[in-house]
Amino acid sequence: MHLPPWYLYAAIVLIAWGVVGIFQKLATNHISAGSTLVLLIVGFLLFEPLVYPGSALFHYSARALAYGLIGGFLNNLGAWALFAAMESGGKASIVAPFTALYPLVVVLLAPLILHESVTLPQAIGVGCSLVAVVLLSL
Amino acid sequence: MSVRNTLKAKWLWYSVFCLACWAPFTFCAKLGLREMSASGMQFLFTLGGVPIALAVLAARRFKFERNRKGTAYGLAVGVLSAIGTLALFAAYRTGGNTAVITTATSLYPMVTVVLAVGFLRERLTLIQIVGLVFASVAFVLFSL
Repeated sequence: MHLPPWYLYAAIVLIAWGVVGIFQKLATNHISAGSTLVLLIVGFLLFEPLVYPGSALFHYSARALAYGLIGGFLNNLGAWALFAAMESGGKASIVAPFTALYPLVVVLLAPLILHESVTLPQAIGVGCSLVAVVLLSL
Repeated sequence: MSVRNTLKAKWLWYSVFCLACWAPFTFCAKLGLREMSASGMQFLFTLGGVPIALAVLAARRFKFERNRKGTAYGLAVGVLSAIGTLALFAAYRTGGNTAVITTATSLYPMVTVVLAVGFLRERLTLIQIVGLVFASVAFVLFSL
C-alpha cells in the first residue's frame, strides 16, 4: 500500500496532540486554564532555538512573515476563546465538539482560497472525520 | 435552553470566535508554507502567540499559581503541542490536500480517548466507540 507523504507527519500530530489531551486534563486539575495557556506558549518558546531558520528568516517575503505571525496569533487567540467559553458557563460537552468543527470551515473555504479539490474517497473520509470528531469530543 | 437564551450566552460567541480564529490560522499556515520551511513557520507562529500569553498574564496582574505538578503538566502540554504543530506544518509542506490533512489531524481526540482509558482509568462510552470506528474508516479512505 502506498501511503501519501503527509501520512507519517499526521500520525506524529495525532500522537503528540492526543497525549496533550491527557496532560491538559492533569494540568487543569492543579492550575487554572489561563496559566495552562501561558505554559503552552512557554513550551513553544523552548523550541525557538531549534527551529530558528537562520539567515533564511531575512529572505522571506513580508507576506510570508505576516502569514506566520498572524497564524500564531490567531491560533492562540482561538485557544484563549475556547478556555473563555468553558469558563463563562459553556458545557465542555457542547463547546468541545462545536469548536472541533473548525476543519469544516476549512473544507468549505479551501476550494475558494487555495483552489484545491478533493477526490471522492477523500470527501467521504472528510465526512467520516467530522462525524468522528464530534462523537469523540462529546 | 431556548434558542434566544442560547444566542445571548457568552460561551456561544466565544466558541464562534474560536472557530473564526482557527479556520483562518489554517489558511495562514498553508499560504506561508508555500514559501517557508516548516521550522521557519514554527518560529514565527510561536512569536505570534507571545502577545496572547502576555495579555493573559496582564489580565491576571502577572500572578501565576505556584504549583509544581500543574506547571510540569502545563509545560508538557506546551512541548507536545509544539511537536504536533511542527509535524502539522511539515504535513502541509508536503503539498497534500489542506482540507484532508486538517480533518485527519483534527482526529487527535481518538488518541486522547484511548489513552484516557489506560492512564486516567476512564471508560469508553458507546458514542466514543462509534467515533473511533468513523475515524478508522476515514484513515483507510485517506490512504487510498
